Amino acid sequence: MKRRFVSAVLAVLAMAAILTAWGRADAQELQVTGPLKGAPAVRQLRLYREGRLEIAPTISFTLLDEYRRTILAGAQLNYAIKDWIAIGVWGAAGVVSSPTDLSDQINKVAPRDPLTAVNVIHSGTPYGNNGSVPNFDQQTAQMQYVIAPQITFIPFRGKLAIFNKVFVDADFYAAGGVGFVGIKERGNCTACSTPQSFQLASSTKVAPTFGVGFKFYPAGWWSLGVEYRALPFSWNLSGFDSRGSGPGGNFPDQKIDSQDESFVFNQMVTISLGFYLPTEPKISE
Amino acid sequence: MKQARRWLLLAAAMMLLPHGAYAQKKKPTKTATPAAAAGTGTTAPADADADQSAPAAGATPPANADQPAAPANADATEATPPPGGDTAGAGAGGMDICTITPDLPQCQAAKEVNMGAEAKKAVRAEIYAVQQQYVIKAQRFEIMPYFAVTLNDQFVSHDAPGLALNYYITQVLAVGLNGNWYDGLNSEQDFNFQNRRAARIAVPLNDYQVSGDLNFTYVPMYGKFAGFGDFIFHYDAYIDGGVGLIRTKPVAVIDPDNRKFDWNNLVNFDVGIGFRIFFNRWLAAILEVRDIIYSERIESTTIAQGSTTLPLNSLQNPLNPATWYDQGTHITNDVQLQLGLSFFLPTSFEYRLPK
Repeated sequence: MKRRFVSAVLAVLAMAAILTAWGRADAQELQVTGPLKGAPAVRQLRLYREGRLEIAPTISFTLLDEYRRTILAGAQLNYAIKDWIAIGVWGAAGVVSSPTDLSDQINKVAPRDPLTAVNVIHSGTPYGNNGSVPNFDQQTAQMQYVIAPQITFIPFRGKLAIFNKVFVDADFYAAGGVGFVGIKERGNCTACSTPQSFQLASSTKVAPTFGVGFKFYPAGWWSLGVEYRALPFSWNLSGFDSRGSGPGGNFPDQKIDSQDESFVFNQMVTISLGFYLPTEPKISE
Repeated sequence: MKQARRWLLLAAAMMLLPHGAYAQKKKPTKTATPAAAAGTGTTAPADADADQSAPAAGATPPANADQPAAPANADATEATPPPGGDTAGAGAGGMDICTITPDLPQCQAAKEVNMGAEAKKAVRAEIYAVQQQYVIKAQRFEIMPYFAVTLNDQFVSHDAPGLALNYYITQVLAVGLNGNWYDGLNSEQDFNFQNRRAARIAVPLNDYQVSGDLNFTYVPMYGKFAGFGDFIFHYDAYIDGGVGLIRTKPVAVIDPDNRKFDWNNLVNFDVGIGFRIFFNRWLAAILEVRDIIYSERIESTTIAQGSTTLPLNSLQNPLNPATWYDQGTHITNDVQLQLGLSFFLPTSFEYRLPK
């Protein structure tokens, strides 16, 4: 028993020696000597995020909209576990939704006749005229709200000088999470040439969301942020019957359903004004 | 078999032996002395920056308590102790910064600065918050190849490779030329087809061929970031604007049988805002958003109703080019995202004053 124990101890020692020897041989690091040896890249860093709660009202503007542009007002709530990682949630509601010029042109130019009866809203038999009420924008999809739990990584932290006069601290971050998006789009129908078939129906889309942005810190207790964000998912923006029959299902089938949805990146730019608790940031060593 | 334990123990001892070879005696702790302050007489290193390289043989070595002794078999250059505490180390198993980034200006050639002569030079009264920016752009050329993608045209994307050439008159102001080549990369989106089929309407479309502009660039912002709390990189932000020409032509959508458009030369104005991240003192990555603004000539949505046998100058003849274009003014914004590289020439520079 004793012999077995000694053998085991010796074997473990030998294995440890081999492993540590390998580790040492691989560690060919740059040897910095002098006063900066072992020093961090930045000393006395103001930790604007670590251990702080951020409450940031936001306003978001959708980009590259085809039929309808939306302005969303909301807020972000983030808690930074470390200065480089935070967990939080972003929520916003569509407060302004206006048709694009293309929607206006379709409303003005598109004929109301049997050929367009499934695709362009009309007032019923005999379909109405170009530019007639109801407007085309009533059939286009709308973004109602977004709720997105997310994780934020802050890999870059620094400062900038503006006109060599104004100096502000800044950081660059990337956020990712899951978005729950409330939308209204043209409801499913099988008899889709009636005026009633153009009514919008509410639904919720679940989509990944990610964004990158800058935060600028003019003071320790507030910040100004600019962010680009995407919420990619499929929806039927125009309310058109685009697919469902023919080769590859690429031809209209006189019905409105999920096959008529198109994948859209749903990009937006967000401006935020962040407030922090506690109001004083920590200072690194 | 009885010897196995002893052999194992011997093996363990042999494995651990290299650790003893790496061990060094603990150096006495002393406060580092700034090289310049310890310099003798009027000679001193030109730059006491952390990036400072070792001077050539013969330079006056500054006193530094952390300097390791030069190895006896080192050559003359290596035997000269470097000036900065963190740049030493060749003799102590460390690495000279110039072996890693030999293109640093202070690594290009050994130099000495006569502090007496430097002191007699006229000094700008204005004191900058950052006395030595990472990159001196003044009186250097910038060559900037990039690729541009369309940001705001849902109907036709106008992606293009481009090239910008700038000369920096001062540290913050440059004049230059840039051009984009679009021909062959215009791409009509499926979205147009869907609209035409569903709503029986056609949206006039245009292709681009080439554009060129004379630009002025202003650099109001610069700064640095620490990446992952480990490394530091420098960046600046710039705005630019100018005037030039863009060649476009309508895509015959309304009456493709009779309309054969040719390229039109149109005056454009452009404004942009960009962000430049420096990898070193002559190479950077750029990201820029530029808006090319011009008055577009688009296809008319109406077709002349006469016969094609009418005289060609008749406004009723659909073959008459005068009937092909819409008569309205169509101010167009082509917003593009440019991603590219920036090369500064010459690749090295010298700071006017020591840091």
